[in-house]
Amino acid sequence: MNPATAKRACNYRTGEADLLSVLEIVIAQQPRVLKGGQPNLTFFRAANEALISPDDEQGAAGFVQVEFWLALARSAGLTAIVEGSLAVTAKADAFWSLPADQRRERLQQAWLAAGDVSEFALTPEIELPGMRKTRTVDVLSDVPLPAKLIAARKAILRHIQAIKTELALPKFCMQMEENARDLFIDHSDDKSWRQVYYRGIRERGGNEDIERAGAWQRVEGSVIRLVCEMILPNLGLAAYDAARGVIEPPAELPPTQPAEVVVQPNFEVVALGEGGDASALWKLARISAPAPARRVRKYVLQRGRFANALARGFGPEELITFVASLSRTPLPQNVRYALQDWGQSTESIRIWPDALLIEAEGVEDLATTLPRALADKLQLGVLPGGHRACPMPEIAQLRPNLPPRKQLFDYSRQLPRVLFPAQGLVINAPRETLHFRARRLLELLTAQESADRYALDAAKVADTAGKLGAGDVRQRFEAALAEDAGSALNLALRSWTGEFGSVFAGPAEILVCENLDQARALASLPEFSAWVERSLSPTAYVLKAGSSDKVWAVLTKLGVKPRKGK
Amino acid sequence: MKFHAHVGVVETRDEQTLNEVLVIAKMEGKLLARLAPNLAVLEVDDAREVLETLEKLGKHPKVMR
Repeated sequence: MNPATAKRACNYRTGEADLLSVLEIVIAQQPRVLKGGQPNLTFFRAANEALISPDDEQGAAGFVQVEFWLALARSAGLTAIVEGSLAVTAKADAFWSLPADQRRERLQQAWLAAGDVSEFALTPEIELPGMRKTRTVDVLSDVPLPAKLIAARKAILRHIQAIKTELALPKFCMQMEENARDLFIDHSDDKSWRQVYYRGIRERGGNEDIERAGAWQRVEGSVIRLVCEMILPNLGLAAYDAARGVIEPPAELPPTQPAEVVVQPNFEVVALGEGGDASALWKLARISAPAPARRVRKYVLQRGRFANALARGFGPEELITFVASLSRTPLPQNVRYALQDWGQSTESIRIWPDALLIEAEGVEDLATTLPRALADKLQLGVLPGGHRACPMPEIAQLRPNLPPRKQLFDYSRQLPRVLFPAQGLVINAPRETLHFRARRLLELLTAQESADRYALDAAKVADTAGKLGAGDVRQRFEAALAEDAGSALNLALRSWTGEFGSVFAGPAEILVCENLDQARALASLPEFSAWVERSLSPTAYVLKAGSSDKVWAVLTKLGVKPRKGK
Repeated sequence: MKFHAHVGVVETRDEQTLNEVLVIAKMEGKLLARLAPNLAVLEVDDAREVLETLEKLGKHPKVMR
């Protein structure tokens, strides 16, 4: 057994302090999660060092306690993987705001139902080669599946709760072997040639699976010892006297003691001692950069984390009062002023990076028109102009609560085409169908003629093309049109953006040759380039003003008689 | 009422603050809508950029996630 877990005197208070430390390291590091679903070694080392009685990293056991608390926290919903990193959840905030006895009960229930916790994987004496990489169980393995483990936990607990005074742990393990031999693994067919080994279970460092005969205590017994020495005491389900090696009924939960906290002028908040009100310490951890270390916890007040706490619904004064109430000494003036400044600064700008915005149209009062069920479900913030916003909920959850005939514009997808070309340069755009992208485009390119009618505006088009580029303007315009742009719209837009050059219309002098050879012969004349404005085709040219007379003169001198157009 | 999903929203104490925020983040030309003098609607990516810019400058707005 790992010395740290076997010899320490753990109980619910120390267990809760350890869970708090592990979650505080999650807050501090926000560790990236590796392929196996676990954070990296740096995280494990930091979390282990923060425990009241850390595991021996160099020993065979690794970080049993941290692994256990992480798995339990995940099962209880206290942590989640957010964008590839481990993060604490709103459920964790709710959990730590509960009274201690309710928190203990929640943790106990979470363990009893936990699919993510595998006591077999945690037990230092054995190892499961098939679970090393992915923590999934091989089909040809005797490692119990989650449902079996859950049933086994309940069975162990029933046996533990039957203990009236105390019972030596080895004796308890013997009793379990006698009375609940199939607790984790079915032994009914042990004499068969197929049931010779514990498949997929080895002694730590061993090369082959353990033989079943006479090995119950080495396998199931070890798991039960881990449960009795570490898990049950930490969760307040039993007490374990490590010195005498006996299991006892759990002690009553002692009353919560306020944390011994000092707020220093350098923005460090120091909490002393193992105990302390975990609920208050959690709240402190959520507004600071926590650095738990066994019996001394430090929390550095930081602007960004303070701002995040405000976003979770706390008021600045509420948080300042909270920090002041924890401190044994008056809050240093500079800290108070800084917190007030941070609060004011943060409250002056609110950003919803990914929001659902409910727009009030015209003089509409959403307080009366918005369905009550929807408003209650979304917890909407009120915005200037009477609009509402909330962090983007799942669209699937949103749709059933939408009022009938109200459209939902999803800006993460292509939006409906809502501009209809009409006569000439006019565009019809019914206002009830307009989304922000279409409205923005109309603002940039058109002048409004009536409620739903717009006309392409040369000055605006030219100005916008100057900023966005002609190609971008045309692309956006075409993407918003419900039908192909008419020739007038197309010509105007592309001319005003500068995509089309100027058009010439009027009398011109031209030179037309009968064939290509004749054109080549003419083009080889030295005077030719001085006559020609531009080529229209290989045999036709626009001449510069007055050049046709010069052509006549040169050709006449050569005895060539040109034709004259009518 | 209209429902706009997956948009970025920036609300400030006053018009001046919003103007400053948009200038700092170079977002004046990228607004989807300005529904009120102190309320701007942006594409999600642009709103995230505003947030990153402000945080890089040591300003920590209230982020509603």
